[in-house]
Amino acid sequence: MSGRRSSTILHEPPPRASSAHESSLYIPQPARIIRITPLTEMEKLFELGFLDGSRLNQQPGQFVQVSMLGVGECPISICSSPTRPDTFELCIRRVGSVTNRLHELQEKDTIGIRGPLGHGFDTHEMHGKDILMIAGGLGMAPLRSLIQYILDERPRFGQFHLLYGAREPKELLFKDDLLRWRESKDVNLAITVDRPDPQWRGKVGVVTTLFKDLSKLNPDQTVVVIVGPPVMFKFVVIEVLARRIPQGNIYCSLERRMKCGVGKCGHCQANHVYVCIDGPVFKYGQLKGMREAVE
Amino acid sequence: MLDRMLAQRDLFTLVGELARKRRIIGPVRRENHFFYEEVADVGTLDLSFNYCVYGPRAFLFPPTETLFTFNRFDHTFTAKPVLDVRPMAFVGVHPCDIHAIRLLDRVFEQDHRDAHYLARRSHTLIVGVDCRTPCTEGVFCADMGTHSAIEGFDVMLYPLHRDGRDDTTFGVMFGSDAGRDWILYSRRGAIPTAADERAFEQYEREKAAAFPRHLRMHANDLPELLDRSYDSLLWEATARRCYSCGSCNLSCPTCYCFNIYDESDLSGTTGRRERTWDGCHLKNFAEVAGGHNFRPRAASRLRHRIYRKAKWVRQRTGLAGCVGCARCDRACTAKINSVEIYNQLAEEA
Ligand SMILES: Cc1cc2nc3c(=O)[nH]c(=O)nc-3n(C[C@H](O)[C@H](O)[C@H](O)COP(=O)(O)OP(=O)(O)OC[C@H]3O[C@@H](n4cnc5c(N)ncnc54)[C@H](O)[C@@H]3O)c2cc1C
Ligand code: SF4
Ligand code: FES
Repeated sequence: MSGRRSSTILHEPPPRASSAHESSLYIPQPARIIRITPLTEMEKLFELGFLDGSRLNQQPGQFVQVSMLGVGECPISICSSPTRPDTFELCIRRVGSVTNRLHELQEKDTIGIRGPLGHGFDTHEMHGKDILMIAGGLGMAPLRSLIQYILDERPRFGQFHLLYGAREPKELLFKDDLLRWRESKDVNLAITVDRPDPQWRGKVGVVTTLFKDLSKLNPDQTVVVIVGPPVMFKFVVIEVLARRIPQGNIYCSLERRMKCGVGKCGHCQANHVYVCIDGPVFKYGQLKGMREAVE
Repeated sequence: MLDRMLAQRDLFTLVGELARKRRIIGPVRRENHFFYEEVADVGTLDLSFNYCVYGPRAFLFPPTETLFTFNRFDHTFTAKPVLDVRPMAFVGVHPCDIHAIRLLDRVFEQDHRDAHYLARRSHTLIVGVDCRTPCTEGVFCADMGTHSAIEGFDVMLYPLHRDGRDDTTFGVMFGSDAGRDWILYSRRGAIPTAADERAFEQYEREKAAAFPRHLRMHANDLPELLDRSYDSLLWEATARRCYSCGSCNLSCPTCYCFNIYDESDLSGTTGRRERTWDGCHLKNFAEVAGGHNFRPRAASRLRHRIYRKAKWVRQRTGLAGCVGCARCDRACTAKINSVEIYNQLAEEA
């Protein structure tokens, strides 16, 4: 708010001049599909590399905007770790116009990528800590980047518990990874499904039921990461808070409608926050005063 | 302090010269209302306009614009940004709209520079016209502190002596080197005298008295008022009338939300990615694939708009998100009135 002042001094320069050659925020870079791996009926894993050979240099938890030129663009989490920098991977569920078209593509086809975008996990803050990670459904996609990161930098972390819940066994993502992680001493993996099929030999129940088998947590030494559908988030947070984990040690990732991905278009706003640039990763403590985040 | 005195006819001569180098955009009368339009003949500008139905934002941030064109071939593509650097001048912008443009400047500059907006903006000269009295009933610019502007213009005109439509003498204040050069280069007008300065002081005194206040609280206290009002029943009660038509968003000089979509030829090989204005009052604004809507109720969307304008935009940019022009109040099909909302919330709190 400004009162009147009688002076002709310039207070704030007008925006820095733009030229016709300035590049646009909205231009995607061409990336080639190196490999496509079907994961379930609904999800495929795409391994990608930029045509010009550059690297994505992402943080775990960040996302990209994926373009099918002529169809549109949509936000997708990066599901591979920066510790494996030559290519990057996206796990894409087909649900609408852009994602359906992506599922029709073949290896060697080219798509457009903008990113990495958003604010990911602060991995430095996690160094030296025990990690408890809870994934629900497609929430496994953004978490896989962090899981790979932890496994690749294993000596930097304490205990590592990973709890994963899916609705049905056929919806479990990254089954090859899961088999490997289950055999590994580096991670303590527990999986449950809501509705078993006849072949299922594992646990049955919602993901919170896995908490009862969890060894005792050291509240100040533990970082908790929760990514999944909002209902799951609510119930898991209760379990976690009941174990006296400080709110500043709990991470989550929000999903919203997104268009620009760069804090302009307003679509991803949840109360005062722009999920695309302030998130998608938040600490639970930050969600206070953000009623739309948890409602 | 004034920098120059300028008669209206001299001003129009200057604008005529400017028109050789820049597209001129200013208020034009269409029946009983004024609109910002690009004019071929500067004589059609009317600087004694009361208010323009819409602010000038459409010329900086068009209702639809192409972000880039693309070409797909042989397993790859090229994309070329489209940036509009044609020089423009806005002639006749009231202080509230100058504040609105400053906000847009900040928004499109901060965090990530939006070259499309900034290309137009950095090629735009802004000539403001001050308001001596409220332009129409119901405006609450004085409450928002936006009825005067000290920056955000290249030149500001104060209509000090007004003897009919065609015979106004303006006190001129420079806001930038570009504005100063434009006026001084012509040698038109005169250096302000002591009498002119006195007239300006008198103008300012009259102006201060002419703007009534409408809010029952200081604008600086709006964020705190809203903090206490999230669960008020007023949102539901007011939004019951809302048609979710988005006229409020359309008429707002500070609304900048947009959608992005693609247009392509039938083969899909060439096309363009475009953006178009969007509005947070429209039903599907926060809806995602699968149908989940993060603001499914008109009440949650109304609350979102009011919070955004009076609190969140300021929190993020340091500038007022609402400039008090009351265009949303006038445009609303359901006669939902923002001043009324603030005052009713204050009564509850
Ligand atoms: C930060 C973030 C990370 C995501 N990560 C993944 C992931 O790793 N894998 C995955 O399969 N999906 C992910 N999603 C969801 C994915 O973006 C949507 O499924 C996708 O946008 C649907 O687009 P569509 O064009 O196929 O569907 P349509 O229904 O045709 O959607 C049209 C447009 O609406 C917008 N939109 C619709 N739904 C969403 C949504 N849920 N989130 C954001 N924008 C939406 C998009 O701009 C989209 O292009 C993520 C979403 C966000 C916000
Ligand atoms: S103009 Fe009025 S009726 Fe239309 S969306 Fe806005 S508040 Fe609702
Ligand atoms: S997606 Fe546009 S502001 Fe976040």
